[in-house]
Parts: sequence; structure tokens; C-alpha cells
Amino acid sequence: MEKKDEFYIGYMNHLGEGTKRTTKRFVLFAIGILLLGAISFGFFQKEAVNSTFDFNAPTKISGTYQEAPYPMLRVKLGEGTFKNVLLLGFGKFGANSYLDDIKQKEGNLNGKHLTIEGNLIYYNGKTLLEIDDSQKISLTNSKVKDYVLPEVMGKQKLTGEIVDPKCYFGVMKPGYGKIHRSCAALCISGGIPPVLVTSDNNTLSEYFLLTDLKGNPIHKDILPYIGQPSLLRGEVEKMGDWYTMRIDVSQIEKLDKKSSIY
Amino acid sequence: MGLDYKLVLWNKHKKTYDKIIALGMLLYLVVFVALTLALNPETTAETMIIRAFGSLAILMLHIILVIGPLSRLNPQFLPILYNRRHLGVSMFLAALVHGAFSIIQFHTLGDVNPIYAIITSNMDYGSLTNFPFQVLGFLALLILFYMASTSHDFFLKNLSPKIWKGLHMMVYLAYGLILMHVFLGAFQQETSPFTIGIIIVGFITVTSLHLITAFKESKIDKFNSEKNSEGWLEVCEVDEIPNDRAKIFTVGNERVAIFKYEGKLSAIHNVCKHQGGPLGEGKIVDGCVTCPWHGYQYLPHNGQSPPPFTEKVATYELRLNGKKVYINPNGFEEGTEVQPVTC
Repeated sequence: MEKKDEFYIGYMNHLGEGTKRTTKRFVLFAIGILLLGAISFGFFQKEAVNSTFDFNAPTKISGTYQEAPYPMLRVKLGEGTFKNVLLLGFGKFGANSYLDDIKQKEGNLNGKHLTIEGNLIYYNGKTLLEIDDSQKISLTNSKVKDYVLPEVMGKQKLTGEIVDPKCYFGVMKPGYGKIHRSCAALCISGGIPPVLVTSDNNTLSEYFLLTDLKGNPIHKDILPYIGQPSLLRGEVEKMGDWYTMRIDVSQIEKLDKKSSIY
Repeated sequence: MGLDYKLVLWNKHKKTYDKIIALGMLLYLVVFVALTLALNPETTAETMIIRAFGSLAILMLHIILVIGPLSRLNPQFLPILYNRRHLGVSMFLAALVHGAFSIIQFHTLGDVNPIYAIITSNMDYGSLTNFPFQVLGFLALLILFYMASTSHDFFLKNLSPKIWKGLHMMVYLAYGLILMHVFLGAFQQETSPFTIGIIIVGFITVTSLHLITAFKESKIDKFNSEKNSEGWLEVCEVDEIPNDRAKIFTVGNERVAIFKYEGKLSAIHNVCKHQGGPLGEGKIVDGCVTCPWHGYQYLPHNGQSPPPFTEKVATYELRLNGKKVYINPNGFEEGTEVQPVTC
């Protein structure tokens, strides 16, 4: 009877014994739920990969500039060893607008030796460089050097997921799939090259830069296909240590399955 | 009560309650971050913040949503209900951190406005699995923002309790949007049955408690009694009403609370003018009907808040025939004095 007659009024300091007990139990229960939630949500996360974005450690790299299909710098690592570093802009933009100043001053940069200071992004053997200031690009040798011509590898049918390489190779974790899809669409729309990350057992590569059938860059047309398991067909070429794939965007087949590119 | 907002906002219990909220949130964040750093060291700080605050907000929302029905089922939960607003605002702040970091991370620094980008960067609105889940989270955040920013008696008074309460019921819309945001977003990639299971159990708990409460209340609404020749309704026997307490009946389309106190019976409209609290679940304290939700008071014989307060509810006429209590279903104007029936 006493328990039933307990009545809590918020602006009074008195709490009945039963009410006090119930309140304490609820608080302990709620904190227990939070603790259980923190342990479950903290423990059961997919592990992020060791991709890296050196956002607070700028690096200066020099190499031969290659414009098509997407801006790259072919950097000499040792005698006969080169790495093609894909160039990107700040935020969700490609590198082209940062290269405009120097192109206006020096003309065609293709095959010329540039030095660029930027922030490296790297994972699984691939390296990219984010440029955040056009003033950090300088021409170190205006003489056109030989650069590698594309090597035709033939037609391929590949499955995988189209990503933006900036996020995928280090800026975001995870930089793929449904959660990241909108961001990837903005990046590719802003000029970052689309990359197919394969999930099949092809013998060439895990990564393919995508172009249209003529080898030109594609951005807006490919947006509806980003971040979803897909099947692509096209002519593959090798450019240094990157592969490119010429595709007809309208022929991309979306696959009804879970992403498995990691 | 309604004249001085500070009276309702701060007291010893509220301060303790706020400290517990802060401690609980801190505990969650520390455990989540520690586990993430230990088990998933390659993750980025932004991802960790987005996940920590998003998961914290959804758990807090579940805790908030069970308080209402628990208080209806057992009045001993009322101290939690009384202080629920601070929990709601804290949950909004957690959701805001999640939303702000997500928008900055995924939608800024692009070639379009970030808000426009939320809506347009994924246009698969016709697909369920590819649906742009960010839009759902953004809409929920707007609702939570509206609710948190009006979570003060100033807005309650100015918007009118009915509109205020009605608009704050949008929390259920926000909850639905958040569930879809999580199931069509994070759970498409983070597929652990444990984390998904927690949210499913939470949903079942929230839904079940609301259904049980609704079932209990529907029994009141199903009350049916024949009118006598004068149009009065027999409602119960006088012994069924405990002292200083009430029984609630649906008379016509209105819920009415019949109180027994000091050997008398009085009937007033069941809905408190403050936030629509069930007066019939309250108690007579210092001679006044006291609302269980926030302690608003009304004199039982005239439905008026004691001076200087001005709230009024409708009153009803009662009759006693032996032990049987009868009510005139036609209520009086709010605040009309009615002679109590002696029992």
C-alpha cells in the first residue's frame, strides 16, 4: 500500500524508497546498455587496411609528366625502376586545375620533368599525390624526355567496384562501398579518375584506371555505377605500373551481390 | 509551474541526472575509442568519431523512447520521465557530432554545395539496397534539431502545449528515419550480427512497450456504460477508487478522472494543460490534483490551478447512488466549480 502511494513530483526533493530503487535500477540498466553497446560496436568493426594519407607531412617528388588519360608523374626509383604517381587535387577535385597555371606559362608539359610538393597517398603498391597549391609545381627540365607508351593488353572482362582512388588508397577508411558511395561520386565528378578495383582472379592487376572507348577521361557519365559490384568489359592497356581500361559506360553491368573488394 | 521557467528546469535531481548523462556518454565514448584503437588501429580519427557518436546517439534514442511507456506502466519511473528533456538534448548533440563530421567528411570540398550533395550524390531513390541513406539521417537530424531547440517551457507555452506535444511526437518519425538510415547505410557494410542484433532487440523493446501501454489505455477507452433515463453514466463503485487517487473513464470521447479525497469525489478532464499528462494517474497532494508528469496542480472541485497559476481543465458532475458512482457525460466549461459528492 505504501509503495502504491509513492508519488514523485519533479520540483520536490523527496523520493520514495521504491521510486529511488527503480530509478537507480533504470540508471544502472541504461549504463549497462551503453557499455554493452560500446563493447559491441567497438569490437565488431571491420578492420581498416593500412592505407596511408600523409596529410601533415608534405613530400616533394620529381618525375616525367604524363597527361593522358589522367595526370601522372613517372618517378625514377632506381636504375630501370619507375613508379607512376597519380596526381590529384585538394578536396574532391582532380589535379588539372592545379596544373593550369604552369601549363599557361610553359605550354605543353607532356614528357617534361616536373617537381611537385604534395601529400602522398599510398596502399598496396600504388602511390598518389595530392596537390593543394599550384605554386608548389615547378618545371625542373623543359626538355621532353622519352616516356612510356601504352602497351596494348587485349580485351578483358573484369568484375569489381568502381572507386575514387583518393579515398580508396588512403584518405578514407573505408573508402569503398555503400557508405562511401556519395563521397566517391563527388570525387569523380570533381575530376578524380575512376578506378576499378577488381574482385576476380585476373592475372593483370587489382586496379584499372577507367577511360571511355577513345581513351579519354570519364567522370560524370560513370557516377551511377560507383560503389557497387559491377562487371566491366573493355580494352586494357598498360601505362608504366598502372593499367587502364577503355569501356563503354552504358555496357557496365551492376551485379546483385555484396562488395568483396577488400 | 508555468510562471517561472527556472523552477522546473533546475533542482538537485536534475543536476545529478545531468551528471549521470554526461558520465554515461563519456563512458561510452572512452570504451568505444579504446576498443577501436586497440583492435582497429588503422582506422582514421574521422571514421572513429562518426561511428562513436552515431552509435551512441542511436542507443540513447532507444533509452529515451522506453522511458515514456515505462512511466505509464509503473509510476516509479517518473523521475526519469521528468528529466527526459536533458537526455533528449544530449542525444541530439551526439547525433549532431555524427552528422556534422559525416557531412564534412563525405560531402564538403566537392564541386557542389554539401547539402545539395547529400541529396544528389546518390540518385538511386528507386532502389532499396542502394537507397541514399544519408538523406534519411539528414532529415532525422533536422527533426532532432527542431525538437532540441524547442525543448524548453518557453516554446511549450508559446506554441501551445497541444501543438508542442504534437510536434515533439515527430521523434517517432525521426526514429523510423534513423533506423532506415542505419539499416540501409552502415549495416550494408558493417554486417556483424551482434551490432545489428542490438538494434533489432532495441526496436522490439521500444515497440513492445508502446504496444503494451496502448493496450492498457485501450481498455480505458473501451469502457462502455448505458446511460440512465437522465443521460447519466454508471462508471464504477466508490470503493474501486483509492484514497487521494483517481480512476480514469472515457466518457463520450473524453477521458475523465474521478478522484476520491477527504471523503469526497470530484471529476475533472484527464488531460493536463502543460503537456497533456494523464491527471488521473496523478495524486491529491496538498488538496490539489497533481499531474504525474511535471507536477502541475489543479483543485479537484473546480479544475483550476491554485493562484497565481491560471491553467484550467473541464469539470464534471457526479452522483452517488448507494455505492454506485454516476457521471454526467456533458462536462462543464474549464474551471467551473462543481460541488463534490460526499462518499
